[in-house]
Amino acid sequence: MFPLPALVIYTLFVVYPIFSAFLYSLYDWNGIKRGVFVGLQNFITLFTVEPFNEMFWNAFRHNVFYFVVEMIVQNGIAFGLAFLIYRKIRGSGFLKIAYFMPRLLSVIVIGFLWKLILHPNYGALNTFLGKIGLEEWARPWLGDPDTALLAIILINCWFGIGFAMLIFLAGLQSIPEDLIEAARLDGATGWRMLWKMILPLCMPAITIMTIFTFIQAFEAFELVYAMQGSMGEPFYSTDTLAVYFYRMAFSSGAGDVTLGLGSALAVVLFFIVGSVSALSLYLMRKREVQH
Amino acid sequence: MKQFRLRYVASMVLAAVMVVTGCSSGGTETESGGGQSGGQQVTLSMHSWRVEDTEGYKAIIKAFEADNPNIKIDFKPFKATEYNTILNTALQSDSGPDILQLRPYAPGITLAEAGHLEPLDNVPGISTIPKDVLAAATGKDGKVYGVPLSLNSTQFYYNKKIFEQNGLQAPKSWDELIATAKTLKEKGIVPISFGAKEGWLLSLSHGVIAPASYNGTDYLDKLLKGESDLKSAEFLQSVQRMQALIPYFPENYVGLELNDMRTLFATEKAAMFINGSFELEGIKKLNPDLPLDFFPMPTDDGKQVLTTWVDGSYAVNAKSKHKAEALKFMEFMATKKFGELFANQFKRISAVPGVSTDDPLVNKMAELSQTSATPYLMVVNFAEGKPTTKQTLENALQGMYLGKLIPEQVVEEVQKSAATWFPPFKK
Repeated sequence: MFPLPALVIYTLFVVYPIFSAFLYSLYDWNGIKRGVFVGLQNFITLFTVEPFNEMFWNAFRHNVFYFVVEMIVQNGIAFGLAFLIYRKIRGSGFLKIAYFMPRLLSVIVIGFLWKLILHPNYGALNTFLGKIGLEEWARPWLGDPDTALLAIILINCWFGIGFAMLIFLAGLQSIPEDLIEAARLDGATGWRMLWKMILPLCMPAITIMTIFTFIQAFEAFELVYAMQGSMGEPFYSTDTLAVYFYRMAFSSGAGDVTLGLGSALAVVLFFIVGSVSALSLYLMRKREVQH
Repeated sequence: MKQFRLRYVASMVLAAVMVVTGCSSGGTETESGGGQSGGQQVTLSMHSWRVEDTEGYKAIIKAFEADNPNIKIDFKPFKATEYNTILNTALQSDSGPDILQLRPYAPGITLAEAGHLEPLDNVPGISTIPKDVLAAATGKDGKVYGVPLSLNSTQFYYNKKIFEQNGLQAPKSWDELIATAKTLKEKGIVPISFGAKEGWLLSLSHGVIAPASYNGTDYLDKLLKGESDLKSAEFLQSVQRMQALIPYFPENYVGLELNDMRTLFATEKAAMFINGSFELEGIKKLNPDLPLDFFPMPTDDGKQVLTTWVDGSYAVNAKSKHKAEALKFMEFMATKKFGELFANQFKRISAVPGVSTDDPLVNKMAELSQTSATPYLMVVNFAEGKPTTKQTLENALQGMYLGKLIPEQVVEEVQKSAATWFPPFKK
């Protein structure tokens, strides 16, 4: 009986909306009114009709890129920082807090601040490049399709590094001291120690962070929306699946709301995130070692 | 203990049920539940997306209430980007307001087609409003569903002082415009404050520049009948001209937004600024002493045109319990008295003809909108499709400014988008 209140709320606000999205995706939507039942037509349209299919794969590629960069930059650096703090370098207590600070800001604030920093004509970054004699490197970072997406992902890495570091640090600190001691007595040092002992023993934290990063990358929305708007500007170069979904299902002011297709995309997104998360959880759990 | 838990759970469930049912019962406010015989106080609810206009509306509503003592109006604005969702949900659950602000053209007309709006053809005074203005709220059945409120116009704003200092005058042709821009550039002044980061400003600027290539309404008539299309020489030239202006844009213009453009112009670093009548207040707020003027677009056949469209209308909910009173307010909105109150309150062009304000620029816009108006094609006729043809143009122009598309590819994309839904192209 005890979980019932939570269950009611959960059903009402989580299960029911997911179920209704499934249902909506099977209908034709005539403006704001639900039309006739069309079966899987919305899914077929999403994958076969221009420009929907082009936009889908364009956004999908961006999500994959998002995941790869976050894995390498955010999680790579975060693990390094966690390792330094784990080794109790001088000032590690302060650094732990400092690295986590960006996480305390609202995404909207972060978007606004970085927009100022990256401003093409009077932003701090281009001004700095000019001061050190690298004028030719200065560019409209967020207005250039070659750099806009990467800029946003790196900002997201900066934002997420503190959280990833804490997860890794918890993983490192849960390794029993005697295991490390035993390895050291057996002659393991430096890279060998890290590679053969610490990384395998940290696998649970790495698994969790990989799945978190994957979910985060495939649901990337706030920062893109805050900095580039719902069109994934410029020229759809920062579009992601979630932004694309938002544009189709809710885009305001224009006559382009298409809730059926939007719901179909939400269902596809749900299956991508759900199945890949489950699969990677299964595969990576197998690599974890017990101690 | 167990009994206590049960009671707790039961109360939680009950609370949840109450929340759910509570959601669906709100709605139109009635002062008295009983009959609606004359003389009784009636309160009408009125929804809008202009939060920033609340004070102005209160003043206008006060004038209406003074003439109609038994009607009270409760003005309730919502955030513009959330307005559509809120309104649609309310209308579908039969809890919509009595009077609602209607988006212009296709998006608003969708509501009429879903049966949510009351036809207003018989409202006195509505016939004084020109037909092409009423078109913003006219359904495919030919009935009028909204009283248009104001017109927007887009034009080249310019800095009179900079023009005078350099011996320049408002250009009278495309070549003169380019020559003016060239002179300014040579003097080290940014000729046109422009940015390509926000898509909607690209179609807006195209809406100003393109009519110069259309030369009057012949091309538009043919286009709307499907006898010409968007790959025509006229439309292609309009896109090529958007490209031809690139040398006269500020540095790094692909990364600039509206705020940057407005600042460049208001701080007198740039001489010209393509934008709408709705920017007038914003520019003046930034720099009240700016020697501001505007010129309409010179066309290739020697005329001048001002691009205009209807900004929004007000409509009556077909399920309103106080239709008679709501229609009275519609009647008021079509009068010159309302037009003058509105135009002076907000410094906007009233949709009611012959209204003047104390702002000479607004008056000039209002005058031109009656004598030499040309429609903002992308909003008036091509704001449909998924994504809309307007959005397709914005995106393709962005691609052009980023060097990814050439003008021929831009018109190709736009035509392809319009062909998916625009009835005359489907034949």
